[in-house]
Amino acid sequence: MLDILLPILIFAALALAAIGALRRVRLWRQGRSSPVSIAKGLAAMPRRYLVDLHHVVARDKYISNTHVATAGGFVAAAVLMILVHGLGLGSLQGLGGVLGWLLLAASACMFVGSLFVAKRRRNPPPRLSKGPWMRLPKSLMAFSLGVFVITLASVGIVPADLGSWIVALVLAGVVTWGLAEMVFGMTWGGPMKHAFAGALHLAFHRRPERFSTKEGGSGRSTGLKALDLDDDRAPLGVGAPRDFTWNQLLGFDACVQCGRCEAACPAFAAGQPLNPKKLIQDMVVGMVGGSDAHYAGSPYPGKPIGEHGGDPHGPIVARPFANGGTALVDADTLWSCTTCRACVEECPMMIEHVDAIVDMRRFLTLEHGNTPNKGGDVLDNLIATDNPGGFDPGSRLNWAADQNLPLMADRQEAEVLLWLGDGAFDMRNQRTLRALVKVLRAAEVDFAVLGNEERDSGDVARRLGDEATFQRLARRNITTLSRYRFTHIVTCDPHSFHVLKNEYGALGGHYSVFHHSTYIAELFDSGRLNLKAWKGDSVTYHDPCYLGRYNGEYEAPRRVLQALGIEVKEMARSGYRSRCCGGGGGAPITDIPGKRRIPDMRMDDVRETGAELVAVGCPQCTAMLEGVVNASAEVRDIAELVAEGLNEESAQDRASRRTQQSEEALVS
Amino acid sequence: MAFDALLEPIRIGKQTIRNRVVSTAHAEVHATDGGMTTDRYVRYYEEKAKGGCGLSICGGSSVVSIDSPQGWWSSVNLSTDRIIPHFQNLADAVHKHGGKIMIQITHMGRRSRWDGYDWPVLLSPSGIREPVHRSTCKTIEEEEIWRIVGDFAQAARRAKEGGLDGVELSAVHQHLIDQFWSPRVNKRTDQWGGSFENRMRFGMEVLKAVRAEVGDDFVVGLRICGDEFHPDGLTHEDMKQIAAYYDATGQVDFFGVIGSGSDTHNSLANVIPNMAYPPEPFLHLAAGIKEVVSVPVIHAQNIKDPNQAERILAGGYVDMVGMTRAHIADPHLIAKVKMGQVDRIKQCVGANYCIDRQYQGLDVLCIQNAATSREYLGLPHIIEKSQGPKRKVVVVGGGPGGMESARVAAERGHDVTLFEAEEQLGGQITIAAKAPQRDQIAGITRWYQLELTRLGVDQRLGTRADEATLKDLRPDILVLATGGHPFLEQHPQWGYSEQPEQSLVVSSWDILSGKVAPGKNVLIYDAICEFSGVSVADYLADKGAKVEIVTDDVKPGAAVGGTNFPTFYRSLYDKEVIMTSDLALHNVYREGDALVAVLENEYTGVQEERVVDQVVVENGVRPDEALYYALKDQSRNHGQVDLEALYAIQPQPCLATLDEGQGGDGFLLFRLGDCTAPRNTHAAIYDALRLCMDF
Repeated sequence: MLDILLPILIFAALALAAIGALRRVRLWRQGRSSPVSIAKGLAAMPRRYLVDLHHVVARDKYISNTHVATAGGFVAAAVLMILVHGLGLGSLQGLGGVLGWLLLAASACMFVGSLFVAKRRRNPPPRLSKGPWMRLPKSLMAFSLGVFVITLASVGIVPADLGSWIVALVLAGVVTWGLAEMVFGMTWGGPMKHAFAGALHLAFHRRPERFSTKEGGSGRSTGLKALDLDDDRAPLGVGAPRDFTWNQLLGFDACVQCGRCEAACPAFAAGQPLNPKKLIQDMVVGMVGGSDAHYAGSPYPGKPIGEHGGDPHGPIVARPFANGGTALVDADTLWSCTTCRACVEECPMMIEHVDAIVDMRRFLTLEHGNTPNKGGDVLDNLIATDNPGGFDPGSRLNWAADQNLPLMADRQEAEVLLWLGDGAFDMRNQRTLRALVKVLRAAEVDFAVLGNEERDSGDVARRLGDEATFQRLARRNITTLSRYRFTHIVTCDPHSFHVLKNEYGALGGHYSVFHHSTYIAELFDSGRLNLKAWKGDSVTYHDPCYLGRYNGEYEAPRRVLQALGIEVKEMARSGYRSRCCGGGGGAPITDIPGKRRIPDMRMDDVRETGAELVAVGCPQCTAMLEGVVNASAEVRDIAELVAEGLNEESAQDRASRRTQQSEEALVS
Repeated sequence: MAFDALLEPIRIGKQTIRNRVVSTAHAEVHATDGGMTTDRYVRYYEEKAKGGCGLSICGGSSVVSIDSPQGWWSSVNLSTDRIIPHFQNLADAVHKHGGKIMIQITHMGRRSRWDGYDWPVLLSPSGIREPVHRSTCKTIEEEEIWRIVGDFAQAARRAKEGGLDGVELSAVHQHLIDQFWSPRVNKRTDQWGGSFENRMRFGMEVLKAVRAEVGDDFVVGLRICGDEFHPDGLTHEDMKQIAAYYDATGQVDFFGVIGSGSDTHNSLANVIPNMAYPPEPFLHLAAGIKEVVSVPVIHAQNIKDPNQAERILAGGYVDMVGMTRAHIADPHLIAKVKMGQVDRIKQCVGANYCIDRQYQGLDVLCIQNAATSREYLGLPHIIEKSQGPKRKVVVVGGGPGGMESARVAAERGHDVTLFEAEEQLGGQITIAAKAPQRDQIAGITRWYQLELTRLGVDQRLGTRADEATLKDLRPDILVLATGGHPFLEQHPQWGYSEQPEQSLVVSSWDILSGKVAPGKNVLIYDAICEFSGVSVADYLADKGAKVEIVTDDVKPGAAVGGTNFPTFYRSLYDKEVIMTSDLALHNVYREGDALVAVLENEYTGVQEERVVDQVVVENGVRPDEALYYALKDQSRNHGQVDLEALYAIQPQPCLATLDEGQGGDGFLLFRLGDCTAPRNTHAAIYDALRLCMDF
């Protein structure tokens, strides 16, 4: 009976899956076009899966091993099952027998994997979604066990009908359950959707350059995509789900709801109304149409489930005062993001949360003109004065009136163009800049500054969604830079660093840009800095997001600290897992309230190390961490530590000689 | 507060100054080596530059000529090329930290003393005597005028060759240039006197000669007063005319403007306004000058607070603010502004200890900052954390010596406990601040309160420490700064008793602190003649009492400095306080409800009586030594301070015994301030700093 039933079941499932797939593809294609190479993408997909994705999954050894067994077992079992039970190849002698045995092995492997999935689901961490995901281990077991048992018959270990038609019928039912979940559930929106959408997402990813290649690509793509402001038909950002590109929608659909993003998100931890996982799921809800009532994970802090919904053509964010109420997500969710990329870094499905958030912010800022709190003021300042603080643009060099900094306008060329950033207007950062100038001078670096010709890099404008202001500032800076000859740009601001390095390219500015820590490390390595031994307190190091996760520079700052003789007491969350200071993405400007402040939590991380000093390499991080009340550690930029550690002429010793009081020398 | 205006650079002549803050010219009394800028001098200015000060104009009244005396106030001598290499050291030290430095140059004319050094004949346009220095002079001759014009030019050359950034010509404080300007001093009828142009001529010739010598790429400024405040002196309108006249030459790069002439005791007090004055009392005069000139105007006078300075600059009244005493109190003022540590600035309180020392020919020191002008000795403005063991330091007494001890020890990283018997810190400062116009002296305490709290010092206020409590704390180091009490028991015939109702006399402390209500008809006997006596007189008169203040010294308030006694006298005369000198308090007796004070003339022995209802005696401080003697023999060092080490700013040798465990058990014991011998606030703070900085 099974040999009749099984091919029917299998092909029916495959047919249903194919129908489901077409429907799913139609959902994705509601999005805007996005140029990707279908053939190349599909060809690259296995490597992207096996190397890049696995690299992320493998950070959790338990689930990575489990996934290898379960998914590997399933893929093999599914193919073999079609051959053995669908096409009936298993009953033949020779190759067929081998196939049967292989299928037994694959389904056994999958079964073992599913046991571990079940174990993980017995007491799941809060980041995991529940709901249908809770039945997945049972479905996996049903599929693997069912296939295993029916295959026992194929290889002849048990009788063809397993002794009784009732048993066979039960078994057919179990297999049907397995097929339903594993095959057509994959395209009809069950938990296994992640395999189908995930595979295609890897193939057609909007940032193909973020994957490694055999030739050794950068494997990093973090610059935001430019909006084509001249295209009248293109929406200014994303106002409705259909405004995303089709492969962004596909990416959202790949989410496996593992919640690693949620666990890493500083805004979520601070109780701000953002959960990256929920946001991605909301995008899926929007793409399909409906409400978020079926979402079975942690909500946005403070926002109950079931009150939001949308459709592909409806607004993502309700326009305030227009129709009131809610739409797919609330604006404060989007403005809570610090763009720290912790979610993107952790996402095993390579989903681009930050791109999506900025796309939606663009719409809020450019179409609604609704950037919250100080956002509007900052953008107005940027428009009027080319810097976010609204300072006199002619005062960027005021801090350096006593530094005699060489100006590019006078020099025309220099080895290094020192990019000051808007920290030039900030008294705290001016100390860092002074220290950096001192270090460059000590190493006899040939450098010059743009001075008052420099404008804001556009970072804040872009991340607040004001793409127009970003592009205007960027073009202006690019024009200015094009007038001078220099080999490198060096800056102590990771935000300027990132924008100059990764985001000006699309507008025609290509530069060799160094973060100062990298440059100082090179100066030290080439013997141009003479540093004395560190005598101060114990030190930890905070990785700035825009240096670390955005640009992969984790080593140079640590090398510099090591060169100073500092042994870094690492925080539990450091390197690619560093917790954001809360200062990125314009978050301090939009200032969405939560339960705690992100920098307070970061200073708690610092406190755990017992370090009395936290070294940073970013003006934003410095400002945020120094703003923490009752902090246990002092905040110093790496440049300041190096400047202090310079071996200059020995400091004037305390005068030991007895000195006559001047009174004695006076005529009374 | 952003301090955008304060920190905005400015161009003066061809120089860019990094911010709007100037340490204006004042006599430092540090150029002790025949008028050369000594190591001390250089370090003093280097510290200001290090602390972020934009421009220092050094060398108040630095002389250009051999007959303008230099030695009395150890001012800088620009009459010889020997100064040039010294200037190079000075300029390098300031430029290294991004500061700019200029020097004030002058010929003082009749203003100085002739009775010393080269015994010069002083000069002035018409030979009229100067009252403040009691100096007589000759009428200047044409040849001497031209010699001095040339001397100015040569002095400016020396400043330029020494690498300084500019010179300020002094035409203020009745120096030679403004002696020519002023019709009350210039009675000449030749081309150097009479008409406006003639009176201006000498200054103009100086300016032309200096500019011709140094060229355009060197700053030349002019310091003037905004109004002499003398009935027959130059008025504000006169000064505007003068400023505009010189400005029209295009050869002056900046004007420094201050209010008031200064050739009488009373007008001199205006020039460096003490704590009796309101903030920036003469800003309007500088603003008036700014109206008529085309170059930056600098104004100094009672600008002590960066918020105040920001307000003045943002308001556009002047272009730069002089914060001179503010920098004597805290040379790191600008650095603290930039560090966002405005509340850590040690703010000048206007005690004028600095300038009053200067007028006595003593080196300029700060009442509350013992490191100022002692940088060359290694006295630090920023105390470094100790690399050695963390110690338990207990300080007894929350007066200036105790507060400084606690602060310094805490900055060193030690565990510090401070006992103060009163409910608030301050010791005698708290009492001194009760007098009219003296409240600002409490600023000294306020800074310590903030610092001690910031540093986490365990402050046990309202707690009198006894031997057992102290030993329970198991201190490594015990510092006693317990002060003393009014010394009324010195002469039994004064009738002092510890029982208030039986005592015939009360102390100035009890009056000022409010412990004893003011009488209606009060005799104050002041044997000390410092601030305390005139303060209590002013206080009582302010409360409506009829007051006579009597001293056996030459005059009540005789030991109050030259810029402080005039504000007391203004107030005391205004309130009809009688000031009597040369009488000692012999005895006091009671007659009915009244008290009779018997006074005896110092020179004739004749006695006279005053019938009053209250006798207040100010007889200084008697040290409280009981706690010290109770603890002395239990301490490792028997309470002794090694003076060789103390004066050489070296660690006390006995500190080593703590680390090595030698010298027996127990603690080190030191005492300082008035519980040793009554001196003054600065003495207590200096001893505390130099003793505790090596703990």
